[in-house]
Amino acid sequence: MAKVIVTPETYNLVFFDSGRIAELVGEAADKAGFAADAEIRVEVDERVPLGRTKTVSLDPISIWVEGGAFEDAKRPRQLSDQSVQDVAGRLLFRAHDRLGGGFADAPDDDGLTLPQQVAWDAYAVGRAERAGLPASRSRRLYHFRNRHGFNDVADAAFDRLWNGVDLTWADIEAACQETAAAKEAASA
Amino acid sequence: MKKHNDVTSLARDSRFERLSLEDQFSDPRNAVMVGRTGGTGMRRRLDPARPGSPDRARSLMHGIFTGEIQALEGAGRTCFDFEVGTGDDEVPFELKLDMARQCWDEARHCEISVKLGEWMGTEIGEFAETTVLFEAACNPDPVLRLTGVNRALEGLAIDVFNTMREFGAETGDPLLHFCEDWMLADEVTHVKMGSDWLRRLTEKDPERRSRALEFQRVVDKLFSGAGFRGEEEDSTIRLARRFRELAGFSTDEIDEISELSRQSRDEARARIAQRALTEAS
Repeated sequence: MAKVIVTPETYNLVFFDSGRIAELVGEAADKAGFAADAEIRVEVDERVPLGRTKTVSLDPISIWVEGGAFEDAKRPRQLSDQSVQDVAGRLLFRAHDRLGGGFADAPDDDGLTLPQQVAWDAYAVGRAERAGLPASRSRRLYHFRNRHGFNDVADAAFDRLWNGVDLTWADIEAACQETAAAKEAASA
Repeated sequence: MKKHNDVTSLARDSRFERLSLEDQFSDPRNAVMVGRTGGTGMRRRLDPARPGSPDRARSLMHGIFTGEIQALEGAGRTCFDFEVGTGDDEVPFELKLDMARQCWDEARHCEISVKLGEWMGTEIGEFAETTVLFEAACNPDPVLRLTGVNRALEGLAIDVFNTMREFGAETGDPLLHFCEDWMLADEVTHVKMGSDWLRRLTEKDPERRSRALEFQRVVDKLFSGAGFRGEEEDSTIRLARRFRELAGFSTDEIDEISELSRQSRDEARARIAQRALTEAS
């Protein structure tokens, strides 16, 4: 299992356990295809109950999350195993993509448009689900429809991404262009 | 069968988790959020351009669903708790009929909300349930209860449904927009029912009417949730003036709710800042 370093080690505002987070992220890293000697850093901002997340570095892999992203939606301030693996799976599959050759042309995360982000997320979370990580297809489909349109073209593109294997950045871009064209045609 | 159930008696299965107001207000992270959200610690407007807006809409939809269950329980309780008669603790038979009709509407709204939740990728019980809505439906005086439920709670429903309806329109979600539009029409009717019965039952009792309106002010302030609902640019739920007018609220009454929301926001800001100061010292 990859070596996972979680900061902070202890929490004052939430009831999180950094050891448990490390264990869950380590499992997700294995399933995303990271080697056993890989180092993954996780920084949790426990002060914020919101759910923003980002990958801040690829060498070593470093992810940053607001505490709300790891929180149980039914029990405020409590850690949710499912939320940790849902977030870690999505970010680590995407990070693994970036380390391969197929996503060399992808902009930095800050440069991705919302449609590009959710399209890549659909591809990442689809693989995470098949690898046995917790994931909600219907939630991701709703995100996708919000950015790509509530129509059959968008749904077909989502299915291709969700079930995709060995896709590249060109495939993500092609899906975005296809749904954008369908939205434009519908509004014309 | 027991009459006048309190909030602790609500029946829920194991999927539901209840969150008290005390738990919400005692979260130490509220103080940290002060500087980030205009001082209230609350989240901002439901803006489709924000990356997290679909998840916020999902959470709000689940809140609507549990609110509909509580509105159904509230209207059903009003139907059952009071006998027919002319006493202060009794109600006309026609009022019970109106409450029965409202139960039918709320039950339909529950089903629509479940289906909308599924459409948005949400499971029943995925988020915590707050019970502040039902608490407005526990007053033992039928006039005060009706005012709390049909004017305050259902008034809030008008604001919430209109916000979600607009979100559906902006994101191009045809189902969300359509369903919220239809439920919104029902809520306008429910508020009108409340206003009509308040006027009829207190026609010869101005003191009771005054108490009922004061109770509504208290409930409306609570529902404004530190600026959660209001007319500020960053209020999550915007006061739906046009639909409130259709429901029979006067401009003065709507202005008053807007002012109550602003007060609620200012008080929350002061409370959270004071707590932050205390914790820092």
